[in-house]
Amino acid sequence: MRVLLVGYGNTLRGDDALGPMALERLRPALPAVEFVSCHQLGPELAAELSAFDLAIFVDAREGEPGTVHVERISPESSAPASLTHHVKPAALLALALSLYGRAPQAMLVTGAGASFANHEGLTAKGEQALHEICRLVPLLIRDFPAMR
Amino acid sequence: MPTITIDPVTRIEGHSKITLQLDDHGDVQEARFHVTQVRGFEKLCEGRPFTEMPALMARICGICPTSHLLASSKACDDIMAVRIPETAEKLRRIMNLAQIIQSHALSFFYLSSPDFLLGMDSDPAERNILGVIAKHPEMARDGIRLRQFGQRVLETLGGKRVHPGWIVPGGVSHPLQADQRDLILSELPEAIQITRRALRWFKGQIESFRAEVRSFANFPSMFLAMANDHNEFSAYNGWLRFIDTNLNIVADHITGTDYQNYIGESCNDDSYLKSTYYKPLGLHDGMYRVGPLARLNMCQSAGTPQADEELAEFRELERHSVLSSFYYHYARLIEILFSIERMETLLNDSEILGKNVRAHASPNNFEGVGILEAPRGTLIHHYRIDQNGLIESANMVIATGHNNLAINHGVLQVARQFVRGKKLEQGMLNRVEAVVRTFDPCLSCSTHAAGAMPLDIQLLGADGEIIDRLRR
Repeated sequence: MRVLLVGYGNTLRGDDALGPMALERLRPALPAVEFVSCHQLGPELAAELSAFDLAIFVDAREGEPGTVHVERISPESSAPASLTHHVKPAALLALALSLYGRAPQAMLVTGAGASFANHEGLTAKGEQALHEICRLVPLLIRDFPAMR
Repeated sequence: MPTITIDPVTRIEGHSKITLQLDDHGDVQEARFHVTQVRGFEKLCEGRPFTEMPALMARICGICPTSHLLASSKACDDIMAVRIPETAEKLRRIMNLAQIIQSHALSFFYLSSPDFLLGMDSDPAERNILGVIAKHPEMARDGIRLRQFGQRVLETLGGKRVHPGWIVPGGVSHPLQADQRDLILSELPEAIQITRRALRWFKGQIESFRAEVRSFANFPSMFLAMANDHNEFSAYNGWLRFIDTNLNIVADHITGTDYQNYIGESCNDDSYLKSTYYKPLGLHDGMYRVGPLARLNMCQSAGTPQADEELAEFRELERHSVLSSFYYHYARLIEILFSIERMETLLNDSEILGKNVRAHASPNNFEGVGILEAPRGTLIHHYRIDQNGLIESANMVIATGHNNLAINHGVLQVARQFVRGKKLEQGMLNRVEAVVRTFDPCLSCSTHAAGAMPLDIQLLGADGEIIDRLRR
């Protein structure tokens, strides 16, 4: 089973760095998994996605700080008209499916941050979310075959 | 007088609007391209150490960070008065070529191909990249693959696809590794194939866009681009040269020390984008164009075999310089081809894996200027520092600013050709937008903005009243 972990966010905007930082922390523990760490999602990722069985997207969000949310996502039929800056994970799956004939099973893991201001490093609530994300992601990968 | 406003202009980088002023007969009398976002980087970097400039300036834009990184580092090299190691210069040139490839691929395939593939009069709800994916998936795949290639080179060298690092004052931070070189080399043949396929296709389509070729910013103007001793295509090293419509040299050997004698910048009341002009002729008569069209008009040869073949064919379009801005699209594809070929030459250079890639020095000048050919045209970064190496002032002359007068003139030309009467139609307005798109303006870069990229065209009556408005 090929697994891709995609962490995205702006490392200069506080807790928005949750995605890239989660990848950094998980990388040593998951040698069989492939990683893409990026500022934002671009359509080029669709080509890569089509080669995987499972893709887990890790992002930050607004909400009750420190909480983590996991959801299964599937290709979104109405992808955005503009692809230059940012594409949502579900739209990327749709792109992979329509252009490359295949999209992986996918999950979106989001941690709610406390601050997205101009600073480096996570807040305490951001750290709390990061810890939970790093606990959950290996479990999601481990349990995925049974969930298919 | 009636006015039409297009706000925002879509499928460009940044936020803008277009106003068309009609006369009493309903004919377009005046047209203006307004940039409605401000960035302010020239101001906010004051007081920062000059060594921070490359990393800071790269944040101006998510599409062109590498261009700013390079121009800024060149300006810092000038402040330090260092000659960077040869290997470092070659590595920087590879980065610049990768930036040109990924940016041109975005412009051609993502932003402009819906107009070519689906038609200027097609339903705007379908005339976007999704329409392309639905009707021409092979073209969409090619576009994604080519941009992915350019971004992979940036990521391989600079560590990240967007906002890469690695380029530093004095050179680059670390040498290229053999496996990185081999990885990039292995992907070049496919990139060439895709580009040649797109060129073949585009050349086959030109005949069906005769009206657009005729009216899309098709007028005499000067051109500005980097030049060198061999009159070959030059994007990293050289001096600046102005040529006229007949390819005569107007001004030559312009460097960082005297560019302000030739290039003037004028502020506008209705736009955050400055208008840049050829100073000896003044704002009124000093319009010129930069970017792919200017560069191909400027050089006598590309310097690589396949791009030279294409350049020869391109030259047959006109007796002297190629004037229609519609051909910016064509020129972009030729530049992609050149960039891939040149990249291969540089990667196969015996010194490319050299370990000496950075010169170190403290400031030796109070002033530094870095000039580069960015994808959209000539880019200038100019810094002054104080005795502590802190930035006293910064001036950036961006490609879209150079082209601003021509963009405005082009909008007027195409509006006069296609906009009729007091009722707006999508096809006519799309052509007004599409002429702006030929220049591939990057408004984040040129105004120093956050925001989406919607379109708003207003039609104003002779008394200034809005008589029709179209938003997307």
